[in-house]
Amino acid sequence: MSKKSRRNSTLIASGLIATFVLSACAGNSAAPQANATKVDGGTIVYGHQQEPACVFGGWIEQAYLSSNVLDGLVSLDSDHKVVPWLADSWSVSSDQLTWTLGLKSGVKFTDGTPLTAGVVAYNFDYWVGGGNSTAKVWLDGYYKSATAIDDQTVQITLSQPYPRLIDNLTQGYFGIQSQHALETRTKEENCEAPIGSGAFVVKTWNRGTDIILDRNKDYTSPPANAKHTGPAYVDSIDWKFIADPTTRSASLTSGETNVIYDVPAIDWKKLGDAGFQLEKYVTPGRPQQLTFNTQQGPFVDEQVRQAFAYSLDRKTLVDTIGQGVIPFEGNGGVSKATPGYSQKAADTYTFDLDKANSLLDAAGWSAKNSDGYREKDGTVLEVVLPYGAGSIINADGASILQGVQEQAKSAGFKVKLIPVPQSELFSGAYSAPDQKDISVGYWTAVTSGILWINYRPSTADNPNYSNDAFVSDQTLADLITKANGISDVDAQNAVYEQAQEYIADHALSIGLYDRLSSLAVSPSLKDVWQENAQGGPIFYDAYFVK
Amino acid sequence: MTRTSSSSVIDSGSGTAVFEPERRSRVGTRLRFIGGKLIGAAIVLFGAATVAFFAQVSLPGDRATVILNIRAGQAIQRTPEELQQINEQYGLLHPLLVQYLDYMRGLVVGNLGISYQQYKPVSAVIFEQIGPTIVLTLTAIALSWVILIVWVTLTAGRGPRVSALGSVVDTTTAGLPAYWLGIILLLVFSVGLGWFPVIGGTNPNGLFLPAVTLAIPLAGFMGQATRTEFERTLQQPFIITARMRGMGDWGIRLHHVLRHSSLAAVTLTGWALGATISGAVIVETVFTRAGIGKVLVSAVNAQDLPVVTGIVVLIAALYVVANLLVDVAYSLIDPRLAKS
Repeated sequence: MSKKSRRNSTLIASGLIATFVLSACAGNSAAPQANATKVDGGTIVYGHQQEPACVFGGWIEQAYLSSNVLDGLVSLDSDHKVVPWLADSWSVSSDQLTWTLGLKSGVKFTDGTPLTAGVVAYNFDYWVGGGNSTAKVWLDGYYKSATAIDDQTVQITLSQPYPRLIDNLTQGYFGIQSQHALETRTKEENCEAPIGSGAFVVKTWNRGTDIILDRNKDYTSPPANAKHTGPAYVDSIDWKFIADPTTRSASLTSGETNVIYDVPAIDWKKLGDAGFQLEKYVTPGRPQQLTFNTQQGPFVDEQVRQAFAYSLDRKTLVDTIGQGVIPFEGNGGVSKATPGYSQKAADTYTFDLDKANSLLDAAGWSAKNSDGYREKDGTVLEVVLPYGAGSIINADGASILQGVQEQAKSAGFKVKLIPVPQSELFSGAYSAPDQKDISVGYWTAVTSGILWINYRPSTADNPNYSNDAFVSDQTLADLITKANGISDVDAQNAVYEQAQEYIADHALSIGLYDRLSSLAVSPSLKDVWQENAQGGPIFYDAYFVK
Repeated sequence: MTRTSSSSVIDSGSGTAVFEPERRSRVGTRLRFIGGKLIGAAIVLFGAATVAFFAQVSLPGDRATVILNIRAGQAIQRTPEELQQINEQYGLLHPLLVQYLDYMRGLVVGNLGISYQQYKPVSAVIFEQIGPTIVLTLTAIALSWVILIVWVTLTAGRGPRVSALGSVVDTTTAGLPAYWLGIILLLVFSVGLGWFPVIGGTNPNGLFLPAVTLAIPLAGFMGQATRTEFERTLQQPFIITARMRGMGDWGIRLHHVLRHSSLAAVTLTGWALGATISGAVIVETVFTRAGIGKVLVSAVNAQDLPVVTGIVVLIAALYVVANLLVDVAYSLIDPRLAKS
């Protein structure tokens, strides 16, 4: 026994020594010399927060990952303009129902099969058939068919005009896969290592730990807004899954990772001061917002919705909890990064307790009980606010919602906050109008067309379960449909702005904060950038300096 | 020595006939004993699988909706048309009893089903990640034994003050939550001092802190049980005899007393195997280690029923094996038990 413990302590001691040696080698977090030169190769160790079930799919986590493996048809540049990727030309017929895309020639998938118009058409049908549920949401109601005109020309036929179709195709959900791979490999193989024509290929997936992506040495098809052509500079990416935010930033400062995602607000300044490159991207689309149930409960009354909005000092709340990193968002329709954003809609409600109180009095909620909550005919003004804890709303977001609860109390609202675990949330709990009064959550998009998804009236034969205001307002629906069909971008955005103002005036939704994609990058790694559709990290142009 | 020579006399021809029936009956009891154990093990596994299955299907919400929503990343209601393909593929509209029997039939032939989210066999999902968890668990148990032996031998029966300090430390460490302890160790030794990597990974030095996190409460818990027995044994006549023979204090403590007083801790080790696997769920998250604990958490979150039930059955199987091993260890430490 005593012998054994001695052996153990030598083991531990040698382990300690090894660690010291390791950490001495890994001290690459210090800033490189000013005259540092570019080195070829190397492995980027990237710390991400969530492990998806498959590389390709409907989650933003999957879009981030698959964008490094699958090329898209088009890309979005920093001015929010659509630029070529696998497609180098596109046009739309005068009736807006037929899109024609010309493809780059000579592109090969990593299984050796060529990229043809037929393959692209196959991918469209594959997405709509369930291959990517989020891609399907963006095509549903518009997409009719896709056909190959010749080897390099694909034609997409729509059932109604969709001028922003091409903008939506810049999202990672529309990555093009090898038809041969989809048809001949098992579902499991295509889940773990889809075959694209991208800058990297999936080498191994060590479930629970990381995914190793290797450079595609024969890469010829970067997007037009990349910083170089040819294969990537680095040999590989070690895409690690580090769920805990404290551990993520500690791994960066200790030199165990070169880049981390979703930087905790509390470490933001510290990392910046230490010389790390910080990147912040506000996701366009629906922001994190409060949407009121207009079908049942106290919020059927517009005055009560407005009172709730006036009772909150949202900006102070978000700035305090977000340490100035998380941007406050007043607009309930779309985030400030979205084309066609209306500042007027965002500024509709400021903190005004007197106004909130007089609106509630006028709405008949004039009595107050001993706890300070308002009552009407003996009913307490209680509103239910369920939120997806840890899935849709992170720790900072949960604190912000607790602040909302506290602030609304001063006007006499009793907010019942319900943290909902992921499995319950996705089982559809709290999705019906009789289960909640306020909904929260975000939805990434590249245009204000997201309004259609969130406010399209639900009908019996075409239900819209993404309309969580449960609103069926023809004026609003007409505004959004009208905007959807305008092909001139400025004219279209003007109508989208009217729709947002309508949403604000009637207090259907009010904004809280913008969803962020943030990165912190080691000074020895250059040219990591965030793609402009959803803020995913792009490592194709990145290189190390010594 | 003398005893072995006498037993060799028994085997030398003349007495064999006398001993035959007794030997046969001994073989019989042993077979009965093993058979009983195996039947018991099968019942435990069957029960675990049944409970896990029904616990999962009784969760609120429609299972096909969950599968589709998790794949899509949207928490919304779904139309019957959207759910049709999933319902058909996994037979979710069959009567519950049929689904249960299908599942059990699969278990018997070793087919745990296919993961809803990863599209791969559950057995592959589990065996891919069981290794790191077993390494962590065994290391933690070994470490806890080292801590336990050193601490108890040092402090038990050393006078009231030292003994009291020993038990206070036992009780305190036994109650330390793994999450808190893990974070503290990580912040001090990895982030602060930089002695260990922040991301555990699979290398040996990344194993130390997670194992210590599990071992400390376990050592405290087993220490409480061992200490009492240790101090009682120290008062036994045979210890005084040993002292009179001139044996040193350390020799007595490690050779005679420990052997006597470790039985309780051996029993607890079987239980500890399960406890450390459940503790691994938290530790794997804090130290960013791969392992079955993390798989279980994400499977529960995604209501990936085949994976959850597969892991439950596996842990039950480990329990059964561990307890069989404990029975064997018992008889090695205390030969009287084997004869009874």
